[in-house]
Amino acid sequence: MELRCWGGDWGLPSVHSESLIVLAYTKFAGAKVTVSPVDWTWKTLTATVPELVCGDSAVQEPTPIVNFLRKQRFNADFELSARQGADTMAYIALLEEKLRPALLHTFWVDAENYANLTRPWFASRSPFPLNFLVPPRHANIALSRILLTKGEAPLHRITEVEGKIYSDAKECLNLLSYRLGTENYFFGNSPTSLDAFVFGFVAPLYKAGLPSSPLQSHLRQLDNVTRFCDNILAVYFSSDHPCPPPLVQETMDANLQKLTQLVNKESNLIEKMDDNLRSSPQHKPHRPDPKPSLASEKNSTPA
Amino acid sequence: MSLAAEAFVSQMAAAEPWPETATLYQPLKEDQILLSDCASSLAVQAYLRMCGLPVQVVCRANAEYMSPSGKIPFIHVGNQVVSELGPIVQFTKAKGHSLSDGLDDVQRAEMKAYMELVNNMLLTAELYIQWCDDATAAEISRPRYSSPYSWPLSNILAYQKQWEVRRKMNAVGWGGKTLEQVYEDVSQCCQALSQRLGTQQYFFNKQPTELDALVFGHLFTILTTRLTSTELAEKIKSYGNLLSFCRRIEQTYFEDKSSS
Repeated sequence: MELRCWGGDWGLPSVHSESLIVLAYTKFAGAKVTVSPVDWTWKTLTATVPELVCGDSAVQEPTPIVNFLRKQRFNADFELSARQGADTMAYIALLEEKLRPALLHTFWVDAENYANLTRPWFASRSPFPLNFLVPPRHANIALSRILLTKGEAPLHRITEVEGKIYSDAKECLNLLSYRLGTENYFFGNSPTSLDAFVFGFVAPLYKAGLPSSPLQSHLRQLDNVTRFCDNILAVYFSSDHPCPPPLVQETMDANLQKLTQLVNKESNLIEKMDDNLRSSPQHKPHRPDPKPSLASEKNSTPA
Repeated sequence: MSLAAEAFVSQMAAAEPWPETATLYQPLKEDQILLSDCASSLAVQAYLRMCGLPVQVVCRANAEYMSPSGKIPFIHVGNQVVSELGPIVQFTKAKGHSLSDGLDDVQRAEMKAYMELVNNMLLTAELYIQWCDDATAAEISRPRYSSPYSWPLSNILAYQKQWEVRRKMNAVGWGGKTLEQVYEDVSQCCQALSQRLGTQQYFFNKQPTELDALVFGHLFTILTTRLTSTELAEKIKSYGNLLSFCRRIEQTYFEDKSSS
């Protein structure tokens, strides 16, 4: 199985919420997937990320991917009761309705964050000329999603909904904090799909170096939620852990190899050019003075 | 509404008691109102009845345009106008009427989560069936929605509304779903609600909360509204405890009042 997603940064395996949800779930469920970041490829524009490719079938978006993995017997929710399964659905709906609009706004609509963090990051990960296309496209989708779901018809304007979506999001973070309490995970001692969703939504907000975000400072005050993120990163994504590092390492190695090959080629080229340059001025003194060259040849042959 | 204005409104609201002349506005009940609006309106009525706050229901053809948020229903209390269940709950709370005061923090988190589940799944499914299923849109939604207006305005408004809802469905990723997938989602949502309710009288034991009002509003409306197919109602009918839950709230809060 191959998982296409946005690459990592800021101390996270992926900076993209949906990709992060799927990455976390695969770790929780113990599914072995090959992670292939879409960074620097044309897939940054064409593919719907995240995408799980398994044989001939391709599944997109977190919820269908999680359901697909469950059918493949990679189930992190196996031990949950029916009631806990219902709670999982409800809390995921809470995240979608209350937290997602504010996250989209923080990363893609807020002018300062977009100009200083989000646009440079996504532009630097997209190949030319897509670096001009990919970030504005995401920003447009984010803005229209906020306006269509939270805007008040008929006057769809962003300033009218900003206050509301941020107070909703703060309330949502508080509710998650109450629900989590002092536990490591939402249901008992092992992480489930709800933990994957919360982690995917909250971790980028926690780790990103946002120039301005009242929501981020609010999150940093909720110790148990930040501890929850740090714990998952340490247990499932740290380099000490045997499972995840090979994937990250491989891509790093591949990139390093490409770079070394390129450098080698370049240095060969430079050497050739250097030789040509060296030989050309040497020829001029050689011709008017053939004897020393002959002498040098004679000298060189026995040596 | 800005946060400062909201705070001001709640300050003002606290000062005055609930008046006898409070009114709830909704579209015309017989020929105009659609499933999703009817469900939201019934949820607010159930909530106010649970709080014991009297409200007079008034049907207006232009209710949608009267509402401050463009959404149905809205209440007119004293000199204030508030729309949708969430803000109305906050508004009554400011006046000292609340159903969820007895809950602890974790229970309140759970209540909010289940309310969002209903909004995220049931409400979106109702909108999808109304405006994205071509048969329902042509036979029921467009004619009913535009019934108060004469041609060509009726067509313009109906198609404008349909276009708006379809854009919203695309934005939340429901645009590519088939009708079967939507029924499946509704079924999952009902299963979750049924599991959560179990054998209890209300979602949080003996006392109803705004969650009960919201769930009742949607389920009861789906059960009692005739659509092009009965499949949506059938999904709910397979959960016995949800049916008796609807019946219980109807008897406790709606039938007694009308007979007395």
